[in-house]
Amino acid sequence: MTTPKFLSGKFKRLSTDTVLHDILVSIALFAFGTVLCVLMRITTQNILNASFIYLMIVVTIARFTTGYLYGILASVIGIICINCFFTYPYMRINFTLDGYPLAFLSMLVISSITSATTTNLKAQTKIRIEQEKQLAMAEKEKMRANLLRSISHDLRTPLTGIIGASNLYLENGSQLNEQEKKTLICNIQEDANWLLNMVENLLSVTRINASNAKVTKSLEPVEEVLSEAVQRLKKRLPDAQINVRIPDEFLMLPMDAVLIEQVIINLLENAVVHAKSTRPIDCYITYDDASVSFHIRDYGVGISEEKLPVIFDGTGAAPTGNSDSSRGMGIGLSICKTIIAAHDGTITARNIPSPENESDQRRLAPFHRYSAVPEKPSSLRGAEFCFTLPREEQDTVQTEEKK
Amino acid sequence: MNTKISILIIEDEKNICDFIAAALISQGYRAFKSYSGTDGISQITSRCPDVLLLDLGLPDMDGMNIIEEVRKWSSMPIIVISARTQENEKVLALDAGADDYITKPFGTSELLARVRTAVRHLSAANGQGAQSHIFEAHGLVIDFDRRRIFVHEQEVHLTQVEYKIVSMLAKNSGRVITYDALISHVWGPYADDNNRILRVNMANIRRKLEQNPAQPEYIFTEIGIGYRMIDAD
Repeated sequence: MTTPKFLSGKFKRLSTDTVLHDILVSIALFAFGTVLCVLMRITTQNILNASFIYLMIVVTIARFTTGYLYGILASVIGIICINCFFTYPYMRINFTLDGYPLAFLSMLVISSITSATTTNLKAQTKIRIEQEKQLAMAEKEKMRANLLRSISHDLRTPLTGIIGASNLYLENGSQLNEQEKKTLICNIQEDANWLLNMVENLLSVTRINASNAKVTKSLEPVEEVLSEAVQRLKKRLPDAQINVRIPDEFLMLPMDAVLIEQVIINLLENAVVHAKSTRPIDCYITYDDASVSFHIRDYGVGISEEKLPVIFDGTGAAPTGNSDSSRGMGIGLSICKTIIAAHDGTITARNIPSPENESDQRRLAPFHRYSAVPEKPSSLRGAEFCFTLPREEQDTVQTEEKK
Repeated sequence: MNTKISILIIEDEKNICDFIAAALISQGYRAFKSYSGTDGISQITSRCPDVLLLDLGLPDMDGMNIIEEVRKWSSMPIIVISARTQENEKVLALDAGADDYITKPFGTSELLARVRTAVRHLSAANGQGAQSHIFEAHGLVIDFDRRRIFVHEQEVHLTQVEYKIVSMLAKNSGRVITYDALISHVWGPYADDNNRILRVNMANIRRKLEQNPAQPEYIFTEIGIGYRMIDAD
């Protein structure tokens, strides 16, 4: 018996397991059938059913094993068993019995047809899975191309500024006064810093394992990650007004600290640059037994309703098409989503005031005794970004959710 | 008569090397440049610089080898220049004997602060300028002899372990201290690898010392690497 093509090809490495599985299944089913026949013979003395039971068993074996071998073996052994145990004279093989060749032939044919159908079915399933995989790959490829396109666009804008300003300085430096020179250099630095941030964002994505989209987590104190992120942002945007509060309780959370830091920086920068906040941005923690949430709350213009549903999609092409798109946080926010998803967390954006929702049921982390208590933040307009990370590894969280 | 402090820069990117050298020279240091590892090692042995600025990613050899080579015969301060995302590399370099690191890209003020710290620890190690008995920075005062700590003239009471951590950071102020170095200093060389207990202690220290622990003034976190105390006044 030749093994079917797809078995001998690239699935060969599976064959040891498959063969073992098939043998076990065949033996188990066959034994089951035989026991059934024996029981029937003992209880009803009716042995006519034996051939039907064996037929059933042979079909089942052919269905649940790979290739023709097991089905045909089962029919041969089945016929011998029937002949030997369940037809007169018992315990003796008698090939001269009436209709014996026909029974043998029919069993053989049925098993072969079933095996062929099954094999065919399995092959088709394999092909379909392959096709789906290819489709997914194509989709991924398309996303990557889109990302690359928007990145290149985003990178070109500040580079144009840098090249233009430095050119102007070198070629017409003598005609510029000190103030103008300083402005040029400041612009170059600003653009370069923006580029740096973009590159760090892109680099951070490479820390996510490409094959399973997971990250290597270690337990990190929430307060250290939060304060370091704020520190780094302040280095770059010294004028940023940020009010950070950490809980009294010492919280540790499994995460890739560098990545979560990047998320906090992106969200804070988004709030600082785009929100036009009228008061310091609030940055605080809420938590319960299962998860910890980081909130970044601004008191600015809010997020436009069209943008809100797609804000983390990284399309950047907001329907409003504002002139600020070159400095848009499109990529930054989509990277946030990627990072949080890799941590099995969730990220949301909402306008405030919004209909009172579930988030208020969680208890607010007690503010640290030194920090200023916010003056009813919910009564002021603005937007809030919030991301939530599980405190335990995902599997335990899932079981809790099932309860 | 104070001779100029000499600093050797080993960095293969010419632009970066030039800008570092210009920044150092403007502050009255003598700067030597080297663009490769082999040339760097020969310059180290011939010039014996006071401080070494070393880029880990050299074209001809691993910067780690240079650290190991230098540490065989000299305790000159080594400041490693490294990219941000490679915490492992930084920790390895610090464990191999580097004194500090600076993350690319950096501003001149940050660079000069690191160099100043290195020079200060250098002179302290050489016995020039008596080892200080009191640490003072931004209203934080640590009296090593009497083991007392004040923040804005208010005495702060730390536990034994907390004091050990703070004093080690203060004695190395301005310099990053890895988790492992702190753990073996406080709990001994056979302490558990797990740095959670250190993190908890640090959280308590921050709640006692800092006005707002979320925006620390004195002890900074270097995620994945260790802690750094603010440089003394």
